[in-house]
Amino acid sequence: MNPKLASLFDEPEKAYLQPHELNALSQLVSSLPDRINLYRRLRNEELTLMQAVADALQQKFAQESEDKLKRSLQNGMLMVRYAAMAMLTDDVEIVVKRLEPWLPEMIEAYDTRAIDQALYQLIREQFVSRFTPAQMTLLAPGLDAAQQFITPPSAANDDDDAEITSETLVSLF
Amino acid sequence: MISVADLLVDDRLPSNYFASDVYVQGTLELGLLENRRGDRLLALPDALMKAIVSGLNKETGQATKYVLKNCGLWWGKNFYARFCEELSEYYKKGVADLPMVEFVQALQECWRTHGWGRISLNTEYQLQGFLVIEVKNSPFTAHQIQSEQPSGALEGGVLQAFFSQLTGRDLSCLQTSCESLGADRNRFVLGLADRLQSAEALVQEGQPHDAIMKMLVQ
Repeated sequence: MNPKLASLFDEPEKAYLQPHELNALSQLVSSLPDRINLYRRLRNEELTLMQAVADALQQKFAQESEDKLKRSLQNGMLMVRYAAMAMLTDDVEIVVKRLEPWLPEMIEAYDTRAIDQALYQLIREQFVSRFTPAQMTLLAPGLDAAQQFITPPSAANDDDDAEITSETLVSLF
Repeated sequence: MISVADLLVDDRLPSNYFASDVYVQGTLELGLLENRRGDRLLALPDALMKAIVSGLNKETGQATKYVLKNCGLWWGKNFYARFCEELSEYYKKGVADLPMVEFVQALQECWRTHGWGRISLNTEYQLQGFLVIEVKNSPFTAHQIQSEQPSGALEGGVLQAFFSQLTGRDLSCLQTSCESLGADRNRFVLGLADRLQSAEALVQEGQPHDAIMKMLVQ
């Protein structure tokens, strides 16, 4: 759940919740049927949706190795699953917390950024054609949060981690 | 054509296994802190680390670092086995079939989630047969064992055992910079024992990491 809302429940001993706090809670609860409905569709349509995206991706990157495309599709599915959970729970933090330490490194290591970015656009196009604007509004925060991890890191990013390629360390010594 | 369904592993997309909010759990009513597969975890207070070092120093004197190194070796061996077990259970394949990049990424996340600092592998000297492991914010070197000397005996032992198992070679480990001596991070050089031996004196003299590496790769 949205951490701001979740924190409402932390200190019952302190005071009763204020009207504006209860309003925020009511808003989430009243949006839940729509969220659950959209989540159910994302779940049920995951494979058909992603298969359509995969076919389009393969056409677009006909020269690219299948391994890279597969890796990228896994990234894409992962992003959508996290975006879906963020939508369901109104908690964008989950996308950031789980993907940030993982996805950028994988994209770097497997060198899939260009494919990931094209894939992301294809996924968005699929969504826009399937879902209503209201549904897109619910889904957008999670998708936007995930998108930041496939855009190139800024020059100011002080990431001095040593690069490890997918080769094996066993050959080192 | 790529079949999307085939990209899932048991309907899952294995990713960040050691993500801290899912990895650390617990049966708190029983006083148990656990990882996501139910193995017990302990919070290790800094005062205990300090007590171990000062207790060993008092009882064994010069032997402290050897005792800690041995503890580290034992721990590292077990840690490697458990780490591989967890990963292969999660990925549904043997660690040998896991791409090295994912293995290393998981190791980094594992380190972070356990509160052991930020570990990274520096492969700059790979062609010369040395691997440099760097750790920032290590909890294991906060307390000096011997003045003016690196204090990462325990951590060095863990890394030596871990990477020896991983590479199937009997590696040695030499710490060349230490946060307790004001360095920005701990650096551990892994390599074959006979090639590292000559650098030990340089560490004792307090030579900087870069100078030691320069000598090693000559």
